[in-house]
Amino acid sequence: MTKVIEISPATRLEGHSKLTLKVNDEGIVERGDWLSITPVRGIEKLAIGKTMEQVPKIASRVCGICPITHTLAGTEAMEASIGCEIPKDAKLLRVILHAANRVHSNALHNILILPDFYIPGTEKKFNLFAKEQPARSVMARIARIREIGQTIGSIAGGEAIHPSNPRIGGMYHNVSPRAKQKMADLAKEGLVLVHEHMEFMLDVIRNMQNREFVEVAGKQIPIPKTLGYHNQGVMATSSMYGSSSLDENPTWDVSRWKETRPWDWYMGELTVDLEDPNYPVGGTTKVGTKVNPQMEACTGVPTYDGQPVEVGPRARLSTFKNFDEKGTFAQHIARQMEYPGCFYTILKCLDDLNTSGKVLADHIPQGDGSMGWAANEAPRGTNIHLARVKDGKVLWFEMLVPTTWNFPTCSRALTGAPWQIAEMVVRAYDPCVSCATHMIVVNEEDRVVAQKLMQW
Amino acid sequence: MIEDPYFGKYISCVSARSTDREILKKAQDGGIATTLMVFALEEGMIDGTIVAGEGDRPWEPEPIVAMTREDILKGRGTKYSISPQISWLKEATRSFGLDKVGVTGVCCQIQAVRKAQLYPINMRDVPGKVAFTVGLFCMENFPYKSLQSIVEDHAAQSLGSVKRMDITKGKFWVYTERGDVATLPLKATHKYEQPGCHVCLDYVSNLADISTGSVGSPDGWSTVFIRTKKGNEIWSKAVAAGMFETKPIEEVKPGLDLLRKIAKEKIDKNQKTIEERKTFGVNKALRNPYA
Repeated sequence: MTKVIEISPATRLEGHSKLTLKVNDEGIVERGDWLSITPVRGIEKLAIGKTMEQVPKIASRVCGICPITHTLAGTEAMEASIGCEIPKDAKLLRVILHAANRVHSNALHNILILPDFYIPGTEKKFNLFAKEQPARSVMARIARIREIGQTIGSIAGGEAIHPSNPRIGGMYHNVSPRAKQKMADLAKEGLVLVHEHMEFMLDVIRNMQNREFVEVAGKQIPIPKTLGYHNQGVMATSSMYGSSSLDENPTWDVSRWKETRPWDWYMGELTVDLEDPNYPVGGTTKVGTKVNPQMEACTGVPTYDGQPVEVGPRARLSTFKNFDEKGTFAQHIARQMEYPGCFYTILKCLDDLNTSGKVLADHIPQGDGSMGWAANEAPRGTNIHLARVKDGKVLWFEMLVPTTWNFPTCSRALTGAPWQIAEMVVRAYDPCVSCATHMIVVNEEDRVVAQKLMQW
Repeated sequence: MIEDPYFGKYISCVSARSTDREILKKAQDGGIATTLMVFALEEGMIDGTIVAGEGDRPWEPEPIVAMTREDILKGRGTKYSISPQISWLKEATRSFGLDKVGVTGVCCQIQAVRKAQLYPINMRDVPGKVAFTVGLFCMENFPYKSLQSIVEDHAAQSLGSVKRMDITKGKFWVYTERGDVATLPLKATHKYEQPGCHVCLDYVSNLADISTGSVGSPDGWSTVFIRTKKGNEIWSKAVAAGMFETKPIEEVKPGLDLLRKIAKEKIDKNQKTIEERKTFGVNKALRNPYA
């Protein structure tokens, strides 16, 4: 008989989200809904009427993990709308900033997922706070990789968290020859570290993939070979940076995108009738609690060709590098495999960077209200911003962030997994929930669930 | 360690002059700040420093991040106008790629640096990278428009041909390329001062590693306060390397007595302004920046 269980909140991921699962007698998920319950930011609404310079800065404040991608996508969406081409050196600085951000974000994600995994050759899960090895050296390496990523980011972007250097029309400053050399030195050091770290992570992930079971809350839970498989497509615009409507051959098509409401995708009112007080941390939701995913979800559900799609490292690798694995472990593996590419990209860009070249376009048009979009391949997937700018003011702004794409896709991927490891499936998407909240319940009685915050 | 109500804390005080001819050629007095920064740069104690370079208009200072001796030399000589040095502090550690930043500035700017180090709001990763600060003695400062009025209108000289300005012996001096010397009583300049200077209780850059200025030493020499351990280390190395000629401050005229008198004048006067601001308006008060 089908029972309903709820894990709320989901832990070890950015933001506030929960899992509402229908499970069968064996505890296997038949239908799963993963939904965001982070309060809505309302950035799209705040943006209207602001100057085009302000909006990317406001947009980056949506979150502190990938503010760089929001700044870059936001800035480039404005540039796409007004039709402004930026100088080559400014573009190179942006790519460096972007790659540095991916390095630090991926390393951070390693900290979040490692407690799910077993130390190879033992029956012990990772405790990164333990005093003994390998925890200490792994943490030291992750910390250094993040420091390198953030330092390179702060040199190229002015600040590692909310970068100040990118602006409409290019960048505010070029870097000094000394700063260029410093970035190159750091990238060289980082390259050695990430190779070492990637090998280590791949060992850990493959070891887990070959296991029969995993222990959760004192029970042995079998790991299905098809953990995290789904039949949705993948979407990626580039293996490293992104694309925009200004490109000669844009790799994303705005006409294939449709925004739908959570109402159409999530389950209706349910009552929780299964609970496990031993589930970490603090047990699952009490039996008898009423839940209503349709009403509670505050993400939009973007579709591409009418279907939710997966974005992220696996999508990038399978689109551009013929990576053919599927599921949770494939996503983890793809993410680790992106590490060295980031540093190779930084070094390549530094080679091409002319420190005395100009980084600001000579002429910055003020816009005629036409629509422009820019896609940026954030660490966790394709982040697309769309904008209309007229006379320097933003008329309309929309953010299609990676985790918004992943929410419905991941919900499908939960089917077939034992509910105890459903969170592992979610974590493999490296979710960043806080920027993925775009809907608000306006009127519960009339069931106006998801009034769009944005206007055309 | 000596503690003085008007000079702050310092390890030692000397009168000194640079031995570098090129620096002295355009230096205001003893060329102390320029020589110290050049020395620290060449010895690898700093990677670069923020100095008041030349702006677009004559005698308009513009802060620059100097990473060579050549650039540091652009900061020689006093420019009696506002140069927002700290605006480059964060950027120096970012797109300039500096790990050890030197800062030259007047009293309030050194206060700002110390505050940024204590409360690094919007100054992420900056506190540990401030390697060396040289503070200047400062009575007051003029906005650029004020300087234009003083030189062009009161002293009746074209700013473009001015080669040196000085405030000494109770007068504002303007020297031109063609040999003219114009003076005007300091009293005439008071109304042009920026108002913020009237609440400043610091004359000799109490918070710098080393602070320096002309008052108290003979012409062409500067009074130098060595304040911190780091300042003392750099100063001793520089003196040992023959960068400076020094004389004990007790042996020079006019000496610390004059300096104390002037410092007392500024601080007492500004203390009075702060007191007055307490009762400014009806049932209101203006903010005391030191409270």
